[in-house]
Amino acid sequence: MVNRIRRRTILKTAAAGAALGMFAPFKRAIAANDLVWMTWENLAKDEYLAAFLEKSDVSITKNFIGTDDEQFAKLRAGGASSVDLITPGLDKVEFYVASNLLQPIDFDKVPNAALLYDTFKNTDLGKKDGKTYGVPFYWGINPIVYRADLMDSEPDWSVFFEGDKYAGKLAMRDYALEGIMIAAMYLGIPRDRMFHMDDAELAEVKKALKAQKKLLRTYWNSIGDLTNLFATGEIVCAFSWVPPYYDLRARGLNMGMAKPKAGVIGWCDTIAVPASVEGEMRDVVFDFVNYLLGPEYGEKLAFGGPYAQSTSAIRDKLPEEQREKIFIQDLSIMDSFVWKENPPRYNDWVALWNEVKAS
Amino acid sequence: MERSYLGTWLALPVVGAVTALCIAPLAILLVYSFFQVNFVFILKDPTLENYARLAASDTYRNLITKAFVSGGLVAAITAVIGHPIAYHIAKRVTHYKSALLILLLVPLYTGDLVRIFAWRVLLGAEGVLNSFLIWAGVITEPIGALLFSSLATHIVLTYNFLPFMVLGLWLAYESLDDRLVEAASDLGAGRVSSFLRITFPLTLPGLIAGGMMVFVMVVGDYLTPQLVGGVSGITIVSAINDLFGTAFDWPLGSAIAWTMLAILCLFFTLAALVISRSTWGRALMGGE
Amino acid sequence: MTPAEQYAETEGGRSHRPLLTATGLHKNYGSVHAVRGVDFHLEANSYVTLLGPSGCGKTSILRMIGGFEDVSSGHLELNGDSLVNIPANQRPVNTVFQSYALFPHLSVEDNVAFGLAYKNLDRATINRKVASALTIMQMSEMAKRRPRQLSGGQEQRVALARAIVNEPKLLLLDEPLSALDRRMRKDMQIELKDLQRRLKMTFLHVTHDQEEAFALSDWLIVMNNGRIEQQGTPQEIYQCPATSYVADFIGGANRLPGRILESDNRLSTIETALGQFQASSVSGLTPDSGAVICWRPEQLHPARGGAIEVTVTHHVFRGAEWLIEAKAQDDTTLSFVVREDAVPEIGARIQLSFNPENAWIAADDSAEK
Repeated sequence: MVNRIRRRTILKTAAAGAALGMFAPFKRAIAANDLVWMTWENLAKDEYLAAFLEKSDVSITKNFIGTDDEQFAKLRAGGASSVDLITPGLDKVEFYVASNLLQPIDFDKVPNAALLYDTFKNTDLGKKDGKTYGVPFYWGINPIVYRADLMDSEPDWSVFFEGDKYAGKLAMRDYALEGIMIAAMYLGIPRDRMFHMDDAELAEVKKALKAQKKLLRTYWNSIGDLTNLFATGEIVCAFSWVPPYYDLRARGLNMGMAKPKAGVIGWCDTIAVPASVEGEMRDVVFDFVNYLLGPEYGEKLAFGGPYAQSTSAIRDKLPEEQREKIFIQDLSIMDSFVWKENPPRYNDWVALWNEVKAS
Repeated sequence: MERSYLGTWLALPVVGAVTALCIAPLAILLVYSFFQVNFVFILKDPTLENYARLAASDTYRNLITKAFVSGGLVAAITAVIGHPIAYHIAKRVTHYKSALLILLLVPLYTGDLVRIFAWRVLLGAEGVLNSFLIWAGVITEPIGALLFSSLATHIVLTYNFLPFMVLGLWLAYESLDDRLVEAASDLGAGRVSSFLRITFPLTLPGLIAGGMMVFVMVVGDYLTPQLVGGVSGITIVSAINDLFGTAFDWPLGSAIAWTMLAILCLFFTLAALVISRSTWGRALMGGE
Repeated sequence: MTPAEQYAETEGGRSHRPLLTATGLHKNYGSVHAVRGVDFHLEANSYVTLLGPSGCGKTSILRMIGGFEDVSSGHLELNGDSLVNIPANQRPVNTVFQSYALFPHLSVEDNVAFGLAYKNLDRATINRKVASALTIMQMSEMAKRRPRQLSGGQEQRVALARAIVNEPKLLLLDEPLSALDRRMRKDMQIELKDLQRRLKMTFLHVTHDQEEAFALSDWLIVMNNGRIEQQGTPQEIYQCPATSYVADFIGGANRLPGRILESDNRLSTIETALGQFQASSVSGLTPDSGAVICWRPEQLHPARGGAIEVTVTHHVFRGAEWLIEAKAQDDTTLSFVVREDAVPEIGARIQLSFNPENAWIAADDSAEK
């Protein structure tokens, strides 16, 4: 008897669940104040958003992405109508714009955008016909991270291409865009040509990358995996993101972070609003965008990330040490970064990268 | 008459579901493989351009070859290891048979990533095996090639897919009549000869079933090579993935996917044909 | 003189040494004792049958000789050489398996040629030998077929061809006829016996069918419960069963239990529920030991004033004669044979008599089990 009741209860619950599932789209329509944000997990921590949620009666549903490409594929495949805010890379916004997936940012509703650093105000990326579709949101650099205890001196890009002192103890991200940018920087290809390389230059890049492959232990795919590779002693030096540097130092490893003079890759993610967002939700979304560019969020991100926001909203209130950490102490350094762009011959780049890996 | 109509109607949802779930995505892929891409726009003028690019590309041809060679190699290794295991479970064990079979399947429940990372712990530069060898004084420097190499990929693939081969062979061994092996030895065959002339051909259906499973799974696995294969970790599947995701070149990705599918089908059709034509095939499957 | 010695004597002069000798042969599977120490010889060029019910150990003996089971203790010698530790594939012995065990993936001729591959023969010789074996077994026309396309009888012939083509010194047959229908079995019996004579091999044939055993054997070994109950020529075993068990198993005999009053090795007197009888007896009986007196149905006949009084209960028509069943006063059923013109009516009370020389007193071994 007990069993039977249990079973019936379970069946009922299951049925109810299934029914709810079926009505999920309607539920969304009813709750006009639920904002769906497609973003990276580390940007939507509850404490980051608390200040915003306190002030408004909006709830936020987080929809985490694994890669930028995945985000684009989801939206292209018709997912745009179920999302209110997305987080594309600055270099990728043009894909979304070309696919008519976005609406322009309504700057009247985003006063904090006035505080954008000049680099981001002036960039052509994320814009089309004078309108901004993806507003820069937070940014950082991808440096070289290395085991200071196991390397004689601070490395630069050449460690990945020449000599064999660290052969078999290096790792490179498995990502065509950055891999080729680094090779171009190593080869001394000027920045204004970097994303417009001709066949001859690409051939040189390919040669360099093939030489690089012989020196690598592996290509890495996720930042957790890279951290693991350092921790288990598989590698001593890698083109990396910043987090492993802090993670591994916290674990007691003597890590170093190198920013080669030939150039450091700067990246910037934007927030962008899908074309279909309208009415009351549109106001809510822009209000939230304003929050993301504002001081409360900026402070949380500066300590939690640690990452820099794209506006100066909180900069002056941060301690110097923290400013140093997120590269906003000396703002002129931003101009030395090589900001990621989408090369017009991107497919050729991908093909080249695969060719190198398969060689 | 009525009943047959009823059957047709009842079968309709099933047919519909199979069509929707299996055939439709493949059909869409096939259609896409004749399109072109320009930036983010799919140009829907039918063309064979993608197949031409594929044929002209050493990279993709080599990757396809590599996938099939790997599949064949791992199938062969699992067959060599699987035969004694399957024999043992089917013919030597009586009490703990189901326990052994479950033991064989347990790793499959732990998930790909867990198993792959476990192997990293074993094979890494500071891993269990290298540490042991250094401790034992066999080597002074860790053997790097144990991990992040083609060797590591094939070790882990073998480990991952061995259970499928063993299951296939186990079923074949269960239905193998012991007296046939006795008869062979009665007639003068030693162990090796008896295996080659009797056991092997009679368990071949199991080998083929297991081998096909292993082969297909190896060809389709990109995670293992990526995580333990080091710089050799690129596969045709990860290249397809790159084309779909990173490069937004759905048409070329579709064309490669379909080429793989076509080669696989051709391969299996040939295998089926050879089996059905061979004398033992006809003897085992009946008819002539 | 033991029966085995007698047997050796009858075959004597042609072969001084037995082909196969088993001494104290024992087989146990854990605590289960399948064969409990048996001794026997097989003479060259003879047809020997191991007869017994299932589970009596006869198949274990065959498998030990074939090399498929280890010998737990005791000895096996073939032509004076120990077989212990010689693997099956190196024994000059071949087996015809119970369900034939033909290789399903090979054609008939490939099945037959299988063992010749291990004999360093050239292709032409192999082909000739295969053809000849198939001809002997009248299977030449089926050479290209596969086992699953053959009838049971044809499979049997192929199994025989596959074994004899190797010219083994000893051919082991494990219930070879059990899968055949009755008619086919009769034909095959004759053929097997004929084959053995022509090939001059020794056949060791395991069966539970006493009729088959009698039809085929030069020498018969009756087994029960892991032991040999009796061995001898079929006539000896038929006429002079050593034990009640043998008398019962080979079938057909009327048996009446009792106690020995006196015995002089050749002739004994037994006290039964139906009275005292004197008859030839197995040697070694002692007064007061348990025994049975056995009569074959054809050895009892109605006779006025006979020693046993019975009431007729059944008639069974058997062609030229009738088998009559009747009950004695203690409810023992006795059967006897009469001619067609002398069938007593059912319910008739008649007396039966017998010639003491034809009756036989065997040891009663039922107490042992």
